[in-house]
Amino acid sequence: MMRQEERKGVTAAAAGRDQFPVGMRVLAVDDDPVCLKVLETLLRRCQYHVTTTNQAVIALRMLRENRDMFDLVISDVHMPDMDGFKLLELVGLEMDLPVIMLSVNGETKTVMKGITHGACDYLLKPVRIEELRNIWQHVVRRKFSTRECVNLDTYEECNKPPSADSDYVYGQVSCGSPDQNGRPSKKRKEYHSEEEDEDDDSNVPDNDDPSAPKRPRVVWSVELHRKFVAAVNHLGIDKAVPKRILELMNVEKLTRENVASHLQKYRLYLRRLSAVASQQAGIVAALGGRDPFLRMDAFEGLQGYQAFTSPAALSSFSAHGLLGSPRNNQAAVVIQGMPASRSIHTGSGSCTANNSIGDANKYHLSLPGNQHGNLAQGLGTSLGQAQLQHKWMNEDSGDLSTILSGNSLANGMPRTLQSVTSSPLLPQDLVECTQAKVAILPSIRAPSASLELLEGAVGASSGPLESHVSQQSALPLSGFSASRLPVHGSFNNSGATRLGDAFSASFRPTNGLTVARGAKVGAGSFGGMIDLTPDTEQKYWSFGSGNSLRQKAHESSADSLLDPKLAWSSSQLPSNVGAHQSISQRANNSSINIGHGARMFGQTSVSASPAVPQTKMDFLFSGDTSAPRNASESSIPRLQTELSSSTCSFDGLLSSMIKVEKDDVAFGDDLGCDFYSLGACI
Amino acid sequence: MDYSNLRRQAASMKKGLFDQGLLDEQFRQVEDLQDEASPNFVEEVVVVFFKDSCRLISNLEQALEKYPRDFNRWDAYMQQLKGSCSSIGASRMKNECMLFRDNCGKGNVEGCMGCLQKLKREHAILRQKLESYFQLLRQAGPAGAATRPVM
Repeated sequence: MMRQEERKGVTAAAAGRDQFPVGMRVLAVDDDPVCLKVLETLLRRCQYHVTTTNQAVIALRMLRENRDMFDLVISDVHMPDMDGFKLLELVGLEMDLPVIMLSVNGETKTVMKGITHGACDYLLKPVRIEELRNIWQHVVRRKFSTRECVNLDTYEECNKPPSADSDYVYGQVSCGSPDQNGRPSKKRKEYHSEEEDEDDDSNVPDNDDPSAPKRPRVVWSVELHRKFVAAVNHLGIDKAVPKRILELMNVEKLTRENVASHLQKYRLYLRRLSAVASQQAGIVAALGGRDPFLRMDAFEGLQGYQAFTSPAALSSFSAHGLLGSPRNNQAAVVIQGMPASRSIHTGSGSCTANNSIGDANKYHLSLPGNQHGNLAQGLGTSLGQAQLQHKWMNEDSGDLSTILSGNSLANGMPRTLQSVTSSPLLPQDLVECTQAKVAILPSIRAPSASLELLEGAVGASSGPLESHVSQQSALPLSGFSASRLPVHGSFNNSGATRLGDAFSASFRPTNGLTVARGAKVGAGSFGGMIDLTPDTEQKYWSFGSGNSLRQKAHESSADSLLDPKLAWSSSQLPSNVGAHQSISQRANNSSINIGHGARMFGQTSVSASPAVPQTKMDFLFSGDTSAPRNASESSIPRLQTELSSSTCSFDGLLSSMIKVEKDDVAFGDDLGCDFYSLGACI
Repeated sequence: MDYSNLRRQAASMKKGLFDQGLLDEQFRQVEDLQDEASPNFVEEVVVVFFKDSCRLISNLEQALEKYPRDFNRWDAYMQQLKGSCSSIGASRMKNECMLFRDNCGKGNVEGCMGCLQKLKREHAILRQKLESYFQLLRQAGPAGAATRPVM
């Protein structure tokens, strides 16, 4: 599976790749020397090839020098030189490697954070060897999902029944009902073909082998799109020109024309997304999953959204939300990309649904602009476009500002839900929403919840999404959305604030997802990883499961607006909000791909698979979009600033991330060891 | 013989540590990792542990003084130490770490101070006992040291 260069010192004599997982190359990072030593030995015992370092910066350097040197990264959460979550984000974003988090702290919210940041798994210390024996699955899953759906042809394969990878490692997600799978795939196919038709490009970057284009057409796989969105965010949507984007993406055989055409679609998508703003509620609900109130709105929003967002956009969103969406990775992309880009930026934590929120009743689902190509398509189609239009159109904000407004969503547009969900993914929107005014929909009560849901969904979505999306990939997106959902969260309706909080705190529009104008939902923030507050865990799950939730209209409570599930499963979400709930519920049940989810999430049944790669999202751009932390602050503006400003470089991002990492506790000082003389120690 | 007798003693000493709760199952996991390739693995890990925990405890003490009532910081330091303790199976120490963190959560300064003192005591006790244990193992001869102690 993996081609690796020759490894040295593989404990097992195996040739490594050939005998995968024997010889799998792991990079272990932990500042605790005891843990690191034990971990190293445990890994060797599993016959992996191990490299260790006690500093995250060194790890990052090693990875950047040659990302092909490793197959998997295991990192501690609390490290003095860099927060483990930041490292996680960066690795996901830059190298697209699976990352497993390690920590002494097994609190749900921390685990949730890991998932939303894109961790494939979250292990508690002390780590047992049994747990390590299975980690290779993350690598496989990721590869599998990345490769999937790269082509149109593969889409169909991917969409097929709960993808093997879905069930693969984590197998928890039970959303793989054929139904769901089928649906997304269909959408994907549609989208894909749409895209194919429109896309004349010949380069194909991401076929099975990203670096070896084999086909004449460019297939905008999730991965590719993600890179694209990351590049766009990095440059700033206004300044993103094909040439520069191409440079940043650095994909072989991709031409400027390919990028230009994709960019055009993306821009359209974003425009559409921003118009949709009103749907947010529904979407948010979807995302938030838990809160019924969101749901309702979300549904409405979704509907609007659907209508609104171009099929592509929506699809992308839905893709996200659902993570599982057929697009496996695509979905992920969607979420990340918040294609809606600017407007959607929901993710950017700034949930500043400012604009969107203004609409107040409209939840802008801010479909993550991402969707740009595939995604959007997905969304669009899935959503009843017409419907969405109304809802989603967020008048004032061009941005998608997540259509968090649950009101509209309540209608349970099934389709919209999809879109909604997708948008929820756009954490940005969500974020915005929460921040801004989540209050928009009074019904949206639990913005925070949604956030959580979103997060959960995001991560979790992998679950439901899984069916479509290979779990791994799905997760990232989902995770993204979930976290990003913050946007939803922002709904601040009275209750919604939760979400907002959730978002704000966590929302880290890592990617430049420029939160849609209103910074509404951080959809954009996909990258940003919205750290939804743990409470929403459930939500998250539902989010992810949103897909599976499909239109369960059951609880129309607005609360669920944020219900990530709803959001995600937008496609599935039945017009009513209730659906969202169902989604969320599903999420809860289906452990979203998160493989080890059990551990991680504990509570939420949905174990947002650690794979929630959100982090990978391109969003990382925004230096530290943790804007969401501050409830509804103008995170959006901040985000945008961050996005556009210097955080362009990863380094900059990194530092900003490090800086911003509020949660980090300064381990700080090494006061020296006066306490015991070394001699006294053994 | 002499060696086997010493080994028996070492085994018995180790059993005592488990019975008294100083060590837990994780220690056995660590022992399991010792093999021909790394014959002194356990001792090496223990050495690293005590060195590192000395440092962490020292940092913590200084933090308690320098940053009064900075529970978040204290908690963060303690989390580090807890991680080490749990990796090696230092059970009683780990419990003290958890109590300390609980106290941080409650904002109880005296409680924290008290926990820290207890932690230092446990640390000292464990160190001393493990030192004796490894010494015994070494005396039991290379063969004895290399093989996993029988428990």
